[in-house]
Amino acid sequence: MLRRVVLAAMLVVLVAAGAVFAEVCLSPYVKRLAGPEKFLYISAVDADGKDNDFLAVVDVSLPSPTYGRVVNTLSLGSAGNEPHHMGWTDDRTKIWVGTLLSKHLFIVDVAADPAKPTIVKTIDDISALTGLHGPHTYYALPGRMLLTFLSSADGNPPGGMAEFTNDGQLIRVIKNPAESPYAYDVAIKPDVNRMITSSFTPLRNYRKPLPQWDMKDGGNTLLVWDFKERKVLQTLVTDPVPLEVRWSVKPGKAHGWTNSALGDSIWFFAQGKDGKFATKKVADLGKGCLPADLRQSPDDRYLYVSCFMKSEIQAWDVGTPDRPRLHDTVVAGVSPNMMHVTGDGKRMYVTNSLLSTMDYSEKFWVRLVHIGPDGRLKIDPFFDVDFTKFPSGSARAHDMLLN
Amino acid sequence: MATRRVSALATLLLAASAATASGHQPAPAARSPLAPDPSLAVIRPAPDFSLTDPSGADVRLSDLRGRVVLVSFIYTSCTAACPLLTQRMAVLQTRLTEAGLFPAQVNFVSVTVDPDRDSPAVLARYAQAFTANPPGWRMLRSDRDRLGPVLASYDEWTRRLPNGDIDHPARLHLIDRAGRVREIYSLGLFDEKQALLDIRALLREPR
Repeated sequence: MLRRVVLAAMLVVLVAAGAVFAEVCLSPYVKRLAGPEKFLYISAVDADGKDNDFLAVVDVSLPSPTYGRVVNTLSLGSAGNEPHHMGWTDDRTKIWVGTLLSKHLFIVDVAADPAKPTIVKTIDDISALTGLHGPHTYYALPGRMLLTFLSSADGNPPGGMAEFTNDGQLIRVIKNPAESPYAYDVAIKPDVNRMITSSFTPLRNYRKPLPQWDMKDGGNTLLVWDFKERKVLQTLVTDPVPLEVRWSVKPGKAHGWTNSALGDSIWFFAQGKDGKFATKKVADLGKGCLPADLRQSPDDRYLYVSCFMKSEIQAWDVGTPDRPRLHDTVVAGVSPNMMHVTGDGKRMYVTNSLLSTMDYSEKFWVRLVHIGPDGRLKIDPFFDVDFTKFPSGSARAHDMLLN
Repeated sequence: MATRRVSALATLLLAASAATASGHQPAPAARSPLAPDPSLAVIRPAPDFSLTDPSGADVRLSDLRGRVVLVSFIYTSCTAACPLLTQRMAVLQTRLTEAGLFPAQVNFVSVTVDPDRDSPAVLARYAQAFTANPPGWRMLRSDRDRLGPVLASYDEWTRRLPNGDIDHPARLHLIDRAGRVREIYSLGLFDEKQALLDIRALLREPR
């Protein structure tokens, strides 16, 4: 009996301490996978915009005879949506899939049959509901979803955030302040009660082909919020267009990093002894990188950067958090974009579509990078999911979630 | 044996929390993560239910209207999430009692998701092990037919695992005096000090 009590207490301590070696870059409120991943869900944009967009299901269970293949697709029922990012509900039973060019939002059940997701609810006009357009980040709160939006309903700034119950009932809307109207990502560090949001560009800009973009129509700020009070405390300035917000995964650590897309740089943010946050540029990624995604290793040791324009993935050693050191690079293919690191930190799935108005490659794929114990990156030559040969033709592979 | 196990675990957890509390050094004010004035939006009306306490009395949630209520979903043979959750509720119960708010203005309700194993007697022992004060902290159960809709209405689900454990979302629902869900906590990141501030904020609201 004593052994069982001790074991139970150890379990409790592990739960209380937070899982250090677990999937990162997800909301800390999302239930973690208990074992190796079996399915990879990918938001897929019909490449020519004529056929229905869909959610692709790739078998990533190594012993499976269909390993590395698309085993199912879930049609979103219409074309031209630009499904982009996705997010788990806290209990990992549903995926919210949003779109950047339409107003549809889909809630997808993956609990009944993980291999065959089904749409359980569609919000047809998210803008009418929220006054906002272009949901980007889907961040689980307990029993709820927090979404960031890139624009107001008319496609102009300000963007903002909206909270929903897990079944899609609107709870509240919080618009960006007038002096920092651009929105993009959100990440919460509950143990220090701070939330940080970042800034991209609104619909009026990103719906145009990239050469027509106004490169000044974007943000260069991070907003630091009191999470429980949902109140902006500070505005921090970075290079233009800070995208992903990545807090250190270590409990109690109030620092993290963001990638400036137009500054080709990594910025470090940290809370000082006075409680206030400050930023500084800590890594130059090389001119023309356009860092589209930023991911972390589960041990907080490495950052992974996808250079969308330079077609390389960089691993940065952040053992000293404010002094990143380039550790390794790998070429997964042309225009790598989204990355997803497994809970054990040993694998990273990669896609190569950013946005239909920004893509410059016509070959779309999902590939796999192995991460060694030394943090070195190596492409898996046998894992290559071709996204150009669907019955509807080619599809742009973007965000990924593992199950 | 099961009772002794629960009691031992409860004792261990309560002792650990006491040690943590006594050893805690207040953080500098500027870095304090606590929010004294939380923004607690109305999430939705709290679904009403009527379940049975270990004495056999029916308890209806809406009968607690006028008080702030914290609702948890647990099962007593759980060895990880549930006892930690219940232990933290016990710590919160102590703090609320010391503040004169429990049980007059604040009540707790813990609903078992495992009525097959959690008989009234088992629930009573569980309450005792975690020093639940019965007038203000009710342990509730019912048969599966009645329980199912209650769980569904709170977005709770259960899945029995091969080892006998039950997988379920470990959430707590904070309900205001008007019977509306105003906060949902996850077990892993539940901070009873912040929960106390949340409860105080709800009690400051005009009736």
